[in-house]
Amino acid sequence: MLFYVTRRLLSAVVTVLLASVMVFAAVQLLPGDVATQVLGQDATPEAVAALRDQMDLNRPAVLRFLDWIAGVVRGDFGVSLVSGEAVAGTLWLHLRNTMLIAVATVAVAVTSSIVLGVLAGLYRDRWPDTVISTLTLIGMSVPEFVVATLLVLALSITVPVLPAVVLDEASAPVADLLPAIVLPTVALSVVMTAYIVRMTRTSVIDVMAGEFVTTARLKGIGTARVVVRHALPSALLPTLNVIAMNVAWLVGGVAVVENVFNYPGVGQLMLEAVHNRDLPVLQAIAVVSAVVYVLCNLAADLGAMALNPRLRTGERSTR
Amino acid sequence: MSDPSQNRAGDGGQGAGPAPATGALRRTLRSLTRSTPAMVGLGLVALHVLLALFAPLLTPYSPTANTPDQALLGPGADHWAGTDALGRDVLTRVLYGGQYALVVSFAATACAVALGTLLGCVTALRGGWFDDALMRVLDAVLAIPPILALLVVVTVLGAGPAVIVLAVTIVYAPQVVRVVRAAALGVAPLDYVTAARARGERTLPILVREVLPNIVNVVAVEFAMRASWVVLLISSLSFLGFGANPPTPDWGLMVSENRTAMVVVPWASLAPILALATLVVGLNLSADGLSKAWGVDRVKESS
Amino acid sequence: MPRSPGSAGNPPQVPRRTALLGGAGAFGAAVLLPGCGSSGRDEAPPIPEGAATGTTADGGVLRMARPPASQAETLDPASSLSAYEYLGALYNRLVRMDESGQVTPDLATEWEPSEDGSTWTFRLRDGVTFHDGTPFTSADAAYTLRRIVDPGLASPQGTVLEPLIDPNGLGTPEPGVLVVGLKEPNFEFPALLTSYHCYVIPEDSGDTIGRSGIGTGPFRLDTFSPGGRGRVVANGDHWEGPPVLDAVEMFAMTDIQARVNALMAGQVDLVSQTNLDFATARVVGASERATIARSVNAQWYVLPMLTTAEPFTDPRVRRAMKHAYDPRLVIDVALQGTGVVGNDNPVPPDTPYWTDHALEHDPDRARALLAEAGHENLRVDLYTSSYDPVFTPMALAYRDSVAEAGIDVTVRNASADSYYTQIWMQRPLMATYWYTGRPADQLLNQVFRSGSSYNETAWSNADFDTLLDDARRTADEDRRRTLYQDAQLLVVEEGGAMTPMFADRLVGLSRDVLNYREYGFEFDYLNIGLRP
Repeated sequence: MLFYVTRRLLSAVVTVLLASVMVFAAVQLLPGDVATQVLGQDATPEAVAALRDQMDLNRPAVLRFLDWIAGVVRGDFGVSLVSGEAVAGTLWLHLRNTMLIAVATVAVAVTSSIVLGVLAGLYRDRWPDTVISTLTLIGMSVPEFVVATLLVLALSITVPVLPAVVLDEASAPVADLLPAIVLPTVALSVVMTAYIVRMTRTSVIDVMAGEFVTTARLKGIGTARVVVRHALPSALLPTLNVIAMNVAWLVGGVAVVENVFNYPGVGQLMLEAVHNRDLPVLQAIAVVSAVVYVLCNLAADLGAMALNPRLRTGERSTR
Repeated sequence: MSDPSQNRAGDGGQGAGPAPATGALRRTLRSLTRSTPAMVGLGLVALHVLLALFAPLLTPYSPTANTPDQALLGPGADHWAGTDALGRDVLTRVLYGGQYALVVSFAATACAVALGTLLGCVTALRGGWFDDALMRVLDAVLAIPPILALLVVVTVLGAGPAVIVLAVTIVYAPQVVRVVRAAALGVAPLDYVTAARARGERTLPILVREVLPNIVNVVAVEFAMRASWVVLLISSLSFLGFGANPPTPDWGLMVSENRTAMVVVPWASLAPILALATLVVGLNLSADGLSKAWGVDRVKESS
Repeated sequence: MPRSPGSAGNPPQVPRRTALLGGAGAFGAAVLLPGCGSSGRDEAPPIPEGAATGTTADGGVLRMARPPASQAETLDPASSLSAYEYLGALYNRLVRMDESGQVTPDLATEWEPSEDGSTWTFRLRDGVTFHDGTPFTSADAAYTLRRIVDPGLASPQGTVLEPLIDPNGLGTPEPGVLVVGLKEPNFEFPALLTSYHCYVIPEDSGDTIGRSGIGTGPFRLDTFSPGGRGRVVANGDHWEGPPVLDAVEMFAMTDIQARVNALMAGQVDLVSQTNLDFATARVVGASERATIARSVNAQWYVLPMLTTAEPFTDPRVRRAMKHAYDPRLVIDVALQGTGVVGNDNPVPPDTPYWTDHALEHDPDRARALLAEAGHENLRVDLYTSSYDPVFTPMALAYRDSVAEAGIDVTVRNASADSYYTQIWMQRPLMATYWYTGRPADQLLNQVFRSGSSYNETAWSNADFDTLLDDARRTADEDRRRTLYQDAQLLVVEEGGAMTPMFADRLVGLSRDVLNYREYGFEFDYLNIGLRP
């Protein structure tokens, strides 16, 4: 067990390192450098030269990468080429804001999808299942930018009860951001719920057909109790994976939704960084997202082990 | 995505049996035709293909001609879904838009699944350091947020259908590799592969003759499922301005162009959304039907 | 208050082109009518012609959405990354430009050249103080100019002024008098100081101005965060009198749609530096909360042909490309008929020095020229992007228009993010625009002179350069106007820029905003206010 966890942690470190090297190499391929990008239409050769010098862009990429790695080990992500401020501080604020949406979304999506999934599983092929499955299918089939756009139209413009965009910047207090997270959370929850419901439904059906539920029923235990005490924990097991993946997706990939709402999160920061060729920021985002991804996977695996005794001893053959 | 689910996917592949002959095909077809959702799904996809193919016969308008004196009209007898800001018939653009969506999505999915299948099989059969190294690299690729990878690829190479296909391949192939590798591992230790190895056969013939036929069901389900995601992803890219060149009629682009005008001409953005959603619903139902018919656990795979 | 001296400093007024503008307006309406049809007109009212005016409430806070220059933007006016909206609120220039393109007083009250035009003397306003209480003197003005032409600062306006201003020739004989010695005679010099990079900052404040924003303007800085939000508050001691508003809040939003949504949801009152496409403008105009104002002829649209790239190295091809298209068709499609024909000349039609010389729409002539140049059935790529909503419709309309002359245009979409680094001045043919508001001399020198940094067509014509040099040296106004007009003639006949049109900027603002006025690079911060 301990050996397994250590191995997983080590391989996680390798994964994160590899990912950062890939991002670094790919960003080197981006046409145009940060100096021309920052200056835009004002990129006269003189201005570009001055800025390049100022940004220390004239050193070889490999040296800059090594410097950077050395800094990261000390917890220093370097300085943004664009704003000149420490990347760590900026990234932390944006990460905090994204986590705000992510936590809310996971809470909403997991709760609603477990309720809906159990309902659909219990009423398999009857009308509640049909309704839930149809809604799920639609949720999976509509891009989140459509959901976001429709929500803004309905709840910000037609009936103005919620803000259409976030006016606050990344450093705003959490309390100020709270009203602004409602619409992004709803938009993301719709998509996420759709995926988890399918998972939960299948698990519930599997479990309810299983032997120990039949045994429990024979013992005369009521349906509600069977579901809560026996079916649900087993049904949650495979769902953990989906949830873990979705958390990673939320942290790394909600650029479109953040863009629609002008929300100062990681996605927004990433779009800006790609636009500006702001290498240190991109690198930091890639590393942090990779860490989140790896941690989520690890947590899901460990959670699965905790829930399922059979997995605790098994050395896995596929790796 | 982690190992337990893949093992299960692999078991599913195994469960289909080692002899996919005409009997299995007939069984599959029977199972498909009996399932209403699967038929609805396949029907929707077929309808989209037909509409895209026969678009020129179905509408008297050109999808790209600008007629400024007809701009921003509501639905009417001449324009069933109204016109957009440049006076182009919305319905016409939606019909022609299927061509782009289907061709690019199909090409991108085919590339991702083909590359993923090849790598997955090879790494499963080779094993050893090759397998270890490849898996590490793929782990790293998967750890990078897909949208970041897409943005970087599209920014390096510029927007366009070919670049979109490449970008989608890069993002989705690693996931296909893992699913196919797990399925192939379920097949590889079986007696007949071992036997083939013992006879001194090389990897490629084993792959073609022994492994591929046994995981074709996994690959097919993978294809249908990825296709639904790819359609969504490509529309998102178009929406962000990284897709088709105007005046190409493309659904994502149409939503992006017309969403601000939703109050004046709602159908200019609603019609492409509907088209997009029905195609994805069709693909999803088809994938469900296929996986049920073949006993491949689709839901668990999708994690 | 005396207006600027009459002698040579003030070019005579070219008859205002009200007649032409009126004609264009009528033409626009004629196109719009069948476009909207009887049913169309019921759905959305036509876009209003101007912003609402009237008596405003006393005070109030205006909330403005703006695109950030970058995450590294600064309040330093000389910088290429200056946060544009703040500048007009915080600072003043020596001179500003009025709506007809005339140079008018700001911190300078009068100015006159020496006989040969090599030295200019500016008389400065008395009793003006900076936000920190220090009085404004000629030393501050001299410091500002010396800083702009410092190559180390790399100011965009530096490339314009550096060849003209001699840093050692800047004199401050008295606190109220600034003498500017030039490297060579220039009778157009004051016009070049109307640039938004020329806002006056306190002496020796170069290192701190980027954050402090200390100027003489109608508002003083309260808070500012680069690429984020900020606030300026009324400066009660402003020399023109206090502004109507108590404060202006500024919110940076990168996405156009986010800015529009914020306006429609009532979160902001004005969307700055954003040209709404026609459909969006109709949506905004039809809403209860917001409406549209026009900044007339605020931008000119251009399809620059790179004269150093095939096939545009051949002047006959360039001419053919110009003869081949009908600017009115482009205006119909791209601007719904509501623009002014540009005739391939970027000097705005209602400004001094403008000439009406034009190449007529003649597909046969275009065909003949192409045949002569060996480029029959020319195929070209035309790049566009979502950077501005008019680019793509303009490109598509051009494509339709030139088909008759046998030119086959493929429109290609490029990413908006890297459009000005990867496409502009790189691809042989693309779509772009400029804000009007630059004086004719600066415009022609910056965009068309051989080797200048903004020369987007890479055009090089010695005759043209000589005409500009001669014009600057010419004291006689009529003669100078003729020279500038001759220079424009060369741009139209030989140059690489196709300029189909001037367009109004469609600005989204709340129905509560009164007395909004903006033209060129001038924004009236003093009088804008809110409905009582």
